[in-house]
Amino acid sequence: MQGVFQIIKLNFRLEWSARQSYFSLLIYILSTVYISNLVFEQTIGLESWNAFFWVIFLFAAVQAAYRSFYFEADRRFLLYFGLVAPESLILGKILYNFLYLGVLGLFTVLIFGGLMGFPMANPEAFLLILFLSALGFSAILTLVSGIAAKAGANPALPAILSIPLLYPQIITLSKLSLRSLSGFSWEVNAPLLIVLSLLALVSLLLSYLLFPYLWRD
Amino acid sequence: MKGIWWKLLGPLLILYSISMGLYGPVPRLPILNETIRVLYYHVPMWFSMIAMMLASLIFSIQALGEKEGADLKAFEFARTGFLLASLGLITGMVWARFTWGAFWVNDPKLNGTAVTMLIYLAYFVLRSSVEEAQKRARLAGVYNIFAFVMMIVFIGILPRMTDSLHPGNGGNPGFNQYDLDSNMRPIFYAAVLGWILIGLWISQLRIRYKKLRDAKTI
Repeated sequence: MQGVFQIIKLNFRLEWSARQSYFSLLIYILSTVYISNLVFEQTIGLESWNAFFWVIFLFAAVQAAYRSFYFEADRRFLLYFGLVAPESLILGKILYNFLYLGVLGLFTVLIFGGLMGFPMANPEAFLLILFLSALGFSAILTLVSGIAAKAGANPALPAILSIPLLYPQIITLSKLSLRSLSGFSWEVNAPLLIVLSLLALVSLLLSYLLFPYLWRD
Repeated sequence: MKGIWWKLLGPLLILYSISMGLYGPVPRLPILNETIRVLYYHVPMWFSMIAMMLASLIFSIQALGEKEGADLKAFEFARTGFLLASLGLITGMVWARFTWGAFWVNDPKLNGTAVTMLIYLAYFVLRSSVEEAQKRARLAGVYNIFAFVMMIVFIGILPRMTDSLHPGNGGNPGFNQYDLDSNMRPIFYAAVLGWILIGLWISQLRIRYKKLRDAKTI
């Protein structure tokens, strides 16, 4: 547990020392949101709101998580090697990415909602879905960015590898979030919420179990 | 698998399922009519694909345990599985054209197959972008395990939670309303077994070929 927090703190400090990555991601979100604003001249329907929001958030999340192992393919891996166990490393990275993606998701909601309106009928449900998705995304994206970093310099690789793995979650959560926009019943949607949480849990477990094999060299 | 018996059995079972599939009696159901015979040609593809992917998964787990040659086997079984999936997709699209009126509709089961194929395409891309054999075995093994679990979630769990046009909706995602007819059952099971054996044979031939080629270059 000590190692997990050490990794989170270290990650934050290293990322903060290269702050432009945070800001470039914000600008990325801002510009993609603005494109969807330009494309839709009139008011936007609920389904389009839902689709655009999740596509923008998904690509921002892929970009954000891609950085988590980008700089440590060789040298920093060696540094970590003596510092912590692989299990704490992956948990720390996933937790860090979870926090990162959670904040990123809130920013996307703010920017996207600011320009396109906030149509949520049930904001609590929408936020819950957003955080569950941040958890599931971070579990898959962290492991996949580890794979991509080890595989070498193919810039398209993180997106190719991670997006198909995210489909089950995306399909479930886009259905749920559309319902949270139009009117949400907790009883009716409980099974889908459980599926979404289980998907996040399974991804977390798989990343945790499989990461030690990636790490060895 | 050793011996020659299963290499004879596989083609025989498939010949039986093809001839009896065209010739045998089938129930007369509205809309489906004679297209119900696609059960013998389309559904076995998915069953045998899952069998191939399962074999691939097992070899990938062995590859993570650093077993010699397991990575090659995992790759070749995934390739055969992908071939069977493509055949299943094509037969399914022909069937959909005649019963639903379109080659492709937006349906949970069709999405599931499309995603499965994309996941395994990503697996092949990952393999091709790593040169070093040991590293490739590890990276591809990790990804393959993840891919298999997500595939099962996508084709086995999610379709059960949503409505679908596809026959066999609710319960078994493959089929069940056809299954009532006892004339069809033996032919269908023969086709499934036959295609699994053929898939094994294809993979085995590819594995041998690759091994010989690698031995030659060294």
